Amino acid sequence: MAPKKPEPKKEAVKAFPEPEAAKEPDFDPHSIKIEFSADQIEEFKEAFQLFDRTPENQMKITYSQCGDVMRALGQNPTNAEVHRVLGRPKAEDMDSKLVDFETFLPMLQHVAQSKDQGTFEDFVEGLRVFDKEGNGTVMGAELRHVLATLGERMTEVEVDQLMGGQEDGNGCINYEAFVKHIMAG
Amino acid sequence: MGCGVTKSDQFHRQGKAVTTIKAAVLIQRWYRQYVARTEMRRRYTWHIFQSIEYSGEQAQIKLYNFLGYLMDNFTPSSNERNLISHIFRENEVCRDAEWERYFCYKNIEVPELYSGPHLTFPLTVEQATGLVEAFRDKRQLHSRYVLQLLLETWKLLRMLPNISRVSTCHSKEITICGDLHGQMEDLLLIFYKNGMPSLEKPYVFNGDFVDRGKDSIEILLILFSFLLLYPSELHLNRGNHEDHIVNLRYGFTREVLTKYKMHGKRILKLLQKIFSWLPLATVIDQKVLVLHGGISDCTDLSVLARVDRHNYVSALRPPKKRHQSAAGMSVDSDVDDEVWASNKLNQRRVSLTFPKPLGTRESFQNRSLQDFSNRVKVPVEEELEIRRRQAGLSGLFNSGFSSSQKNLNLSVSSDLSQESTDTNDVAKEEWKQILDLLWSDPMSQDGCVPNEVRGGGCYWGPDVTEDFLNRHNLQLIIRSHECKQDGYEFCHNRKVLTLFSASNYYDVGSNRGAYVKLGPDLVPYVVQYQASNMTRELTVRQSVGRTERSALKVLREQLFAHKSDLICAFQEFDNENKGLVSLNDWATALESVMHLGLPWRMLRSQLTCKTSDGMLDYQDWLNELAIKEPNMDHIDQSLLETLYRHRSTLETIFRIVDTDNSGFITMEDFRQTWKLLSVYLKMEITDEAISDLAVTIDKNQDGSIDIHEFMEAFRLTDKKSRLERGRSMFMGTTPDLVKLEGDPNI
Repeated sequence: MAPKKPEPKKEAVKAFPEPEAAKEPDFDPHSIKIEFSADQIEEFKEAFQLFDRTPENQMKITYSQCGDVMRALGQNPTNAEVHRVLGRPKAEDMDSKLVDFETFLPMLQHVAQSKDQGTFEDFVEGLRVFDKEGNGTVMGAELRHVLATLGERMTEVEVDQLMGGQEDGNGCINYEAFVKHIMAG
Repeated sequence: MGCGVTKSDQFHRQGKAVTTIKAAVLIQRWYRQYVARTEMRRRYTWHIFQSIEYSGEQAQIKLYNFLGYLMDNFTPSSNERNLISHIFRENEVCRDAEWERYFCYKNIEVPELYSGPHLTFPLTVEQATGLVEAFRDKRQLHSRYVLQLLLETWKLLRMLPNISRVSTCHSKEITICGDLHGQMEDLLLIFYKNGMPSLEKPYVFNGDFVDRGKDSIEILLILFSFLLLYPSELHLNRGNHEDHIVNLRYGFTREVLTKYKMHGKRILKLLQKIFSWLPLATVIDQKVLVLHGGISDCTDLSVLARVDRHNYVSALRPPKKRHQSAAGMSVDSDVDDEVWASNKLNQRRVSLTFPKPLGTRESFQNRSLQDFSNRVKVPVEEELEIRRRQAGLSGLFNSGFSSSQKNLNLSVSSDLSQESTDTNDVAKEEWKQILDLLWSDPMSQDGCVPNEVRGGGCYWGPDVTEDFLNRHNLQLIIRSHECKQDGYEFCHNRKVLTLFSASNYYDVGSNRGAYVKLGPDLVPYVVQYQASNMTRELTVRQSVGRTERSALKVLREQLFAHKSDLICAFQEFDNENKGLVSLNDWATALESVMHLGLPWRMLRSQLTCKTSDGMLDYQDWLNELAIKEPNMDHIDQSLLETLYRHRSTLETIFRIVDTDNSGFITMEDFRQTWKLLSVYLKMEITDEAISDLAVTIDKNQDGSIDIHEFMEAFRLTDKKSRLERGRSMFMGTTPDLVKLEGDPNI
């Protein structure tokens, strides 16, 4: 069965841009109350330090690493959310500007409080969209295409890494198993 | 997809599109989280391996310092001194003239059954490439040819200067490789990608060819054959592992003795000489310096160019001194009492500690300045006082007090001629230069401080690099010595390049290897690789998972080895004696005992401790880590723990004591060794306890102990992971020596 052609979707994409950027105001770190426990904060510090690559070990990470550290700590923000809590920095600042732990903590708190975490069920629902035959499988090729062209696009290498070994002989993926595979990481 | 698109169709499609995008974003988010978590695991796994590796090296140096100190301070008459003396001297009484006879290969016959390569000298290219192929096919070179090859190598090396000077003229590109550590697969991969050494293809190999991996001797034989073929194109620098004392602990000695049962000892002896004759550094186009470890603020290439490098057989021993024996022959022996004692005193002042960890250390990446003032500036009188007290207290050793006091006398006494004091100073300075060259590591802060983590050499900063390069009119230092994720790493404003060529060093998938090509423009061009088919088949997540499991297993072993100390530390936090501690206190206690600078809270879930209400039952947890060897129950737990913690050291000493390499030592030697260790560890170990232990291990009751069996008893019994385990950090064992039982004729 031929995959859907992308053309009809393109218009749709233009009509429905990602909601966050338009609606939400700028992130104000001072408005955030830290609700993490002292133990949790110590653990976050460890993760922070693990990613610190400054030559003097200043306990700082780059803007571009913030998303990674948050994710390493179990949060699940979109790139857009990360960009917002960082104060919408310019592209050229992402690798050069640094964030210290005190600045990072409210960002992490905010992200942790986000309602839009995406549960296992949400995830499966999302994949079900691609399940044409309603039989619990999606076409690997279609999924790859979607992930590389829609939303917060992934590179081909990333898509390969994600989907490597998941497709069966027919190029199909059982998406419940796929989801378990992702969540287990 | 019909052509008549109604409004409701379009609406429906737009709705579907939103869902699709949302789905995509969801998947992408999760993917990014999975990548970040994998990266985090990879990083802490790395930390674990590296921290433990370095603290192992440190432990060994401490042991030798201690043994050397004992040598200084006790009379020749005691039995214990004989043992220690044996450890250091290994019956080295041959005179120069006798060595060739000892190493003679001529009467070693090669049987017809032998299916390995045959060598004739001078070597040809075909023979060298044939050797590479033979090793690739897992064949072994006969000991006759090994000795012959090594002898030729020794003769050649003796003619080479300390610092090789190489040029990239004739548009030649030079290839530089870092540590190989017995991993022949990596060497073969380099030759495959880059070509074998030849007149058009010069190479520099930057030390640490041996130890840890299982094909150290094959790597040496390959490198030496190409050296003999192309002495102007193939350059070898000495590494800190080209040192027979280090080899005792880290596997090379064991490898040779296992592969060459009959002539192994001779081969090792010859290698000892060869290692001492390996050049110290290479300079390319007078601009790029290649050496194994690094530099210090004292490093002076003109001093290094002048030293008698072969006097420094081991960086862990003082230099050999040539003096006239009674018979008027020139004899090589260790620089003895007068010069040595004062020499050693100064050297060891910085490292003379008993096996207590070095105070709190920041996370491994933070190499902040250590405070040495309390240790370094102990005045001589105080030092003597300490030793007198120690000498007096030990009931195990006869303290020949007056003679040791004389030895400790630092000032120029009537016993010391002016000449030997000068020799003393020069020897000291030279030794430090070499130690720094082989053992140092770069740090990010300015300055230069002793490398307490490794126990030898320095940490040197960017300012030292800058100054050094300016003084010597150089532009780049290429060094090895440290394993790097990507196989290489620049630091100090790209003026220092670390190069590591052993891929998958800690475990499969842990790191890549790299080599560097340098043309006349002297711009380093790095090539990376990763050996082993297995790596390519594993996904990133799978290889991280494997390495992580390995690291955690090693870490659990370490934790078990410190059980008593950990219990004490936990009890300090457990005021109400409930057997519970908070997770925060757990982490703090762990770091205070282990001193590994690891992110304990992040590792908590991996170290499997169940909590209720955020509190951990520490006894339960420690019991989970216990060794499950049933017949050990009657042995005192703390003795067991000590044994376990120091098993590497123990094995090293056993192997030294086992002079005929039979794999067995006598009960008497076993007891002696234990007594030594008990002093070192400041532990009360009764004769009875030692006897109990020996009897348990000596299963067939014949009065001798199988070293291998003894060491096996102290592994954590977790059979599946023992097989999986790639490389044991502690033992330096090469568990796949299975194949070596092969050809008995060799």
